[in-house]
Amino acid sequence: MRALRTLSIANLKSFTRDRAALFWTLAFPILFVILFGTIFSGGGTPSYTIGWVDQDQSAASGQLKSSLEGLPGLTLHLQSGTLDAEQADMRQGHLDGVLVIPAGFGAAATPAASPATGPGSSPGETRLTLYIDPSHNSTAAALQQVLQGVIDHVNLAIAGGSSVVGLDTQQVQTQELSNVSYFVPSILAMALMQLGIFASIPLVQQREKLILKRLNTTPLPRWTLVLSNVAVRLVLAALQTILIVAIGIQVLGVQLTNDWPRIVGVVALGAITFVSIGYVIASFARTEESANGMTSVVQFPLMFLSGIFFPLQIMPDWLRSVATVMPLTYLGDALRQVMVGGTPFVPLGVDVAVLGGWLLVCLGVSARFFRWQ
Amino acid sequence: MAVAPEVAGATAASSSGPVIEVQDVHKAYGAVRAVDGVTFEVGRAEIFGLLGPNGAGKTTTMEMLEGLHAPDSGALRILGLDVTRQARAIKERIGVQLQTAALFPQLTVVELLDLFASFYQRRASTQGLLEALDLEEKRSAQSKTLSGGQRQRLSVALALVNDPEVVFLDEPTTGLDPAARRGLWDLILQLKGQGRTVLLTTHYLEEAEAICDRVAIMDHGKILDIGTSDELIGRRFTERAIQFDAIPALTDTIVASLPHVTKVTHENGSVLAYTPKVPETIAALLDSAQALGIEPDNLLVRRPTLEDVFLDLTGRALRD
Repeated sequence: MRALRTLSIANLKSFTRDRAALFWTLAFPILFVILFGTIFSGGGTPSYTIGWVDQDQSAASGQLKSSLEGLPGLTLHLQSGTLDAEQADMRQGHLDGVLVIPAGFGAAATPAASPATGPGSSPGETRLTLYIDPSHNSTAAALQQVLQGVIDHVNLAIAGGSSVVGLDTQQVQTQELSNVSYFVPSILAMALMQLGIFASIPLVQQREKLILKRLNTTPLPRWTLVLSNVAVRLVLAALQTILIVAIGIQVLGVQLTNDWPRIVGVVALGAITFVSIGYVIASFARTEESANGMTSVVQFPLMFLSGIFFPLQIMPDWLRSVATVMPLTYLGDALRQVMVGGTPFVPLGVDVAVLGGWLLVCLGVSARFFRWQ
Repeated sequence: MAVAPEVAGATAASSSGPVIEVQDVHKAYGAVRAVDGVTFEVGRAEIFGLLGPNGAGKTTTMEMLEGLHAPDSGALRILGLDVTRQARAIKERIGVQLQTAALFPQLTVVELLDLFASFYQRRASTQGLLEALDLEEKRSAQSKTLSGGQRQRLSVALALVNDPEVVFLDEPTTGLDPAARRGLWDLILQLKGQGRTVLLTTHYLEEAEAICDRVAIMDHGKILDIGTSDELIGRRFTERAIQFDAIPALTDTIVASLPHVTKVTHENGSVLAYTPKVPETIAALLDSAQALGIEPDNLLVRRPTLEDVFLDLTGRALRD
């Protein structure tokens, strides 16, 4: 136990004193989160699509429609026109919101009708309803702001500023995750993948520098050596998880399930599985250079063909069948399920089983081919 | 230099029989017979040297004893224990320095000593090792910042963290300057003084002559001869060389005609006259010089070295 502890501390110290390793395993994924977070939480020109439900069908509602259509970045979805259908579309993630124009809007908003209601009072006020998903907080806020602006204009034009038209909001829980909620577990999955397969680099370095050979002349059992490497990677995985989750919550406003036992379990399984892939790489790489090359060869296809950045549901069939064999697909899916309650690609049990299968296969391959010197 | 106080283990271990036994060991890598029927024994508190050029099989032999390679055939025993079957028990009691210092680059000297010490049941004092190997000033330096000589010394220090009964040193002084080399020789002699057994490889003949009790000369995976340096030399050379600065008046013909001289050669402006009976030849030489009215300068008697033994055994010099 003493040997395991000191060796783990030694490996950890070696890691933290190596600036490059520190950057790629800890800083890089965080930069990634912040970068993606900024892109997907509405930097650049926003573009929103809202469902249009006109229950009034008056000239005034027609006018409102054309003025909304004139706004840059706003698209009205006019397909069905019924609240139920539009809401269903929104739940599936096709719409950012649904705007309902109630019957009687035309009457309230017609200038001729306005004297009936005294200035400043609003007995005849008509209220539009905007359905938004609060978890897409920036989208919801932007839509609300745009529509309120339009309504203010209408009020000013019709009633000299007194309120004849109001805006209510209603919350709709969409099943589709917001982009940020989708990406935070993805980036954690990516970070764990990198942490694991990059475990091959110090192993190959230690073999090349004959450190493994030197350790073999001591009574230190090999399992202690392996266990220590795994322990170090688990500590780093925990650190990464804390950092990424903290940024996700604090900066990007992601809402977590707080199902910590399952989150910790999936993170640990994922970290160990990818460390075992790192051992496979270290089994076949002779030099540090070849290990670097092999980690890239493994890393990039995993990153881009695993559906961690694009939902599997929107992938073309051929790509989805590639993604179906990638272990990262299942880690991403499992993390989304346990962290933000994402729609399962496969049930959690299947994710865990696939990751466990990869782990066993990689352990077998490493046990067979890993060379200590 | 002072190494940790004498160890209990060095004296408590089974005192009868050789500490290291190597019996007809073979090891081939593909078609290359790296070690081809090697047999030798090393006794307690003996410094034993494997001497030979690169590729002679010294390191392979040593690494089989360290449990790093299994022999194809033959028996290897340390402290009465079988190297392949009782590897763990042996590893507790031996200290190993590999040819290339294998150190975690980002760890400091003290961290490395403490790390390696944690692998063993018994441990020597870290402070004692720092002092003995003159690493006190560098205790907090990361190993990647050390000079070649410092790394080499640290690597020797790491071989002593478990207060070992048997120490394996693979070319311990390679890359050291002459002063550091002598310092390490002193340390190795101290290890012997503490009752430890030392097996070292070297391709420095003067190192083998200076510190080894016995030497095995290896080439092409075989031991060509084995013994103390006096034995190795005496077995082959009964003659000594009388050496002096060349003087034109004292011609080779005169020197060759002196009593008992068998051969006259020249080396860097010196004359070498070989003779089995040094006193008689020298007396005659001085008489001749006196008769000619000259004084031979830098007159000395040279005995053959291990270099000459190696040359005689292999037909080539040890160092190219």
